[in-house]
Amino acid sequence: MTIYLPIAEISVSIITLVSMGALVGFLSGMFGVGGGFLMTPILIFLGIPPAVAVATEANQIVASSVSGGFAYWRRRAIDFRMGTVLLVGGVLGAYAGVNLFKALRAIGQVELMIAVSYVFLLTIIGSLMLRESIMAIRATRAGKSLHTRRPGQHSWILGLPLRMRFRQSKLYISVLPPFIIGFIVGTLSAIMGVGGGFIMVPAMIYILHMPTNVVIGTSLFQIIFVTAAVTLLHAVENQTVDIVLAALLMVGGVIGAQLGAAATQKLRSEELRALLALIVLVVGAKLFWDLVSNPSELYSLTRISTFIDPFLFGGKS
Amino acid sequence: MKIGATIFASWVLIALFMATASANGLVADLSKDHISIRSNFSGETLLLFGAVGGDNRGRAFGASVSPIDVVVVLRGPAANFTIRKKARRAGIWVNSEVHHISDLPAFYALVSTNPIDAIVPEAVRAKHKIGIDNLRDNVPTEEQSDGRYAHAQDVVSRAFMRLRAAQGLYSESESGVELIGGRLFRAEINLPPGMPIGSYVSEFFAFQDGRLIGYQTGELPVDTVGAGHVMYELAHTQPLLYGLGGVALAACLGWAAALMFRRRS
Repeated sequence: MTIYLPIAEISVSIITLVSMGALVGFLSGMFGVGGGFLMTPILIFLGIPPAVAVATEANQIVASSVSGGFAYWRRRAIDFRMGTVLLVGGVLGAYAGVNLFKALRAIGQVELMIAVSYVFLLTIIGSLMLRESIMAIRATRAGKSLHTRRPGQHSWILGLPLRMRFRQSKLYISVLPPFIIGFIVGTLSAIMGVGGGFIMVPAMIYILHMPTNVVIGTSLFQIIFVTAAVTLLHAVENQTVDIVLAALLMVGGVIGAQLGAAATQKLRSEELRALLALIVLVVGAKLFWDLVSNPSELYSLTRISTFIDPFLFGGKS
Repeated sequence: MKIGATIFASWVLIALFMATASANGLVADLSKDHISIRSNFSGETLLLFGAVGGDNRGRAFGASVSPIDVVVVLRGPAANFTIRKKARRAGIWVNSEVHHISDLPAFYALVSTNPIDAIVPEAVRAKHKIGIDNLRDNVPTEEQSDGRYAHAQDVVSRAFMRLRAAQGLYSESESGVELIGGRLFRAEINLPPGMPIGSYVSEFFAFQDGRLIGYQTGELPVDTVGAGHVMYELAHTQPLLYGLGGVALAACLGWAAALMFRRRS
């Protein structure tokens, strides 16, 4: 059963889309990762134009971060003040990212930027995850408990101006570091269709020294609004958000995330984390291969959209 | 399909009658007067049929009469394209060359009873703009003015045709028209899932001894209908509203999922 995606302008099997959404949702429910960095490359492999894949994935992440953030909100595990600073930076970053995206799209280089960014991102994330999970596996085999790295003190952060009190995080620091972190995450979100939690969470712990109990909730809070902004900006500037595609992915993702969260209690997560790391590395390697190997077709064709506003001209389009 | 067959049969009768009566040597029609693309559109086959009546005066006296050939063309709306060529830069393949192609049909299908060069000489084909080769004039519009122009134009236009053909949007079939009893003809054209919307033009040509003896043209509107159509229009005419809709849908779905999940655990 196929469905025609109105913005991506291709027909794709509904079952494929929903099950891909469910698979990535499962992984994100299990490991607490957003899944955008896996879903966007998968959509590209399925033949969705990269520009549509990025913008649509941002739309899907709105749904998954709302459903994920809900529990943290009920537990009051969100630092709204910190989240707001992060999201102001994030929205500005998103604005910059969408405009960069638009400019590159006009000169036909947006696909290249997406692919290159993903090769870097997936290689870094994959290697870090693999290293971490191998260490965890070794530690459990040796019967030791793995103690997490204690955040060190960075005096330069305390020396920055514009300090603000973040009661929930028990911090009194400058707004500049969270603003800059938010900005970087917002930019990545706009050009790659990711939530950016994988960068924000470590940054909040190791750079901002936020207490771990508010980190995930606060990052989800930021992601909801930043991906919403990315969706809106892409819809307005590039017309690349495919709501039909996003809705199918959301349905699959929601089911998958529930199953994934339930499965964590039963499965051995270190080995699975290592497996996920390998999948991430393979996807990165595939994207890299597509960039360097001789393409079967040197030319690519785009039809210049000549959309005529039927309301404006009163005629049939 | 049964209804289609009945319509076809009755049309053939009318067509046959008209062909003998008409001064123009060809009458034709399509199995559909418009194409609606719905969300589940996975392509379809368009049936084109009719009758030809050539110069038969010789037949009564037993003289040999040249056979009639039929050429059917379905042409999509004119569109502008950008074609990019990749080149290796610092080890990776990058879009490096760009050509703009304007005013070529977004869809082009030609079917005929015999190989097109055997039916009609090039000059006549060019005059009536029959065949993919005769669309090439428009490719590309910006190129250096030295001798490399012709070569570059040829390479780019061949790439263009190849890419369109790969999607089923450009095709030529030299045996796509079936001529029954030298009078009735029937052709099928495949409409692929990704066919562009707009106003299509069908053209029917009847040739005898390389001369045009019958011609008919008609329009075939192709439009998207249903939810997909609404989405596309909204995304382009009211992008802010469309974006807000996407965000609201995501927020509601996420919220609903969270509530469901909470009740279960």
